[in-house]
Amino acid sequence: MGSPLRFLLKLFAVLIIGTALGLAATWLSVSRLSIGTVSDGPWRTSLLIGSEQSGPYLRANVALHGLFALNRGETMYYTADHDSAGGWLDGNCVYKIEGREPSARWWSITAYGADDYLMANKYGKWSISGETVQLKSDSTFVITASPRKAFSNWLPLTQRRFSLTIRLYNPGAGVVNDPANAMLPTIKRSVCL
Amino acid sequence: MRRLALWIVAALAVAAVVHYVTLIQTPGFIMKRVMMKMGEANTIHHQGRVTANSRSVVRPSPDLLYSVCPFDLTNGALHVTAPVPPGTYWSVSIFDDKTNNFFVKNDKQAKGKVDLLLTTPYVDVKRPQGAAEVVAPTPKGVVLFRTLINDEKNFAAIDAVRRKANCTFIRSRAS
Repeated sequence: MGSPLRFLLKLFAVLIIGTALGLAATWLSVSRLSIGTVSDGPWRTSLLIGSEQSGPYLRANVALHGLFALNRGETMYYTADHDSAGGWLDGNCVYKIEGREPSARWWSITAYGADDYLMANKYGKWSISGETVQLKSDSTFVITASPRKAFSNWLPLTQRRFSLTIRLYNPGAGVVNDPANAMLPTIKRSVCL
Repeated sequence: MRRLALWIVAALAVAAVVHYVTLIQTPGFIMKRVMMKMGEANTIHHQGRVTANSRSVVRPSPDLLYSVCPFDLTNGALHVTAPVPPGTYWSVSIFDDKTNNFFVKNDKQAKGKVDLLLTTPYVDVKRPQGAAEVVAPTPKGVVLFRTLINDEKNFAAIDAVRRKANCTFIRSRAS
């Protein structure tokens, strides 16, 4: 058994290591919204957000990453932290977000910093929506997310790590029923500065 | 060797308990903090436009105007009334103290206005005439109004209507 002091030291070590492991497990399980998700290209959404039966893992996830999120019929939230080629989004690069208007009563694309808040910029510009987007003659759009000012449909980037969220308010039935085929825009990296 | 295995099992058991407790406590802890930041309970707070300085709730939408009523129904109920701003997306949603969304109504469903009595089975409150009763699963939580700024030109008009929403506390007769 050894001396009582050694026993106490070991007990202390077990408590410290156990607590550290427990906290690490919690952190790993909630640091990224990863439960019940489906992907449409680089965009991911959780089908369980706003549902009643969601368990403790999803509950903690939503509290941290999507507090006050609404259910699917009301709003769908798709988030991307990668581009369409699978690379991490990098605020030093220029991204072309190309596609057609998604099926919803109203939509927007917003850029967020690593801390899940809007990135400070002197233009007061954080999102492009169905109301503000400039469409091309074939009804498609190109949004430019970049640290340098773009000619039109510009989403300013002022942090290295960032993510994008598409909100679909009152999404179309096709999107609600088949969220993996929402025909969301592609995110293509062009040059890096 | 067997003793070492015992210590490892003990450490894992501690880890499991810590993991479970922190996971279960996370939503309540976050909700409590957010409600404190929102301000006084049982009254409405019309928040300003969302900017990079809006840091009380993660991933806010810069296209929405948020009005919130953090509530505490321990000693009464909350009368929630609001006109629906015309021509734009609007919704009222209610969350319990563990972040569950138990009620939502949008502008199309509300037909011009909402008039709700948010209550619990434990209080005795006279229901205001015309108010629909909504039972909250927990005495504390948040009522959240979202109003879309669908056009900058309409901002002043939209903002004026959303500021007519109200939350009035009605004290329980029994307590």
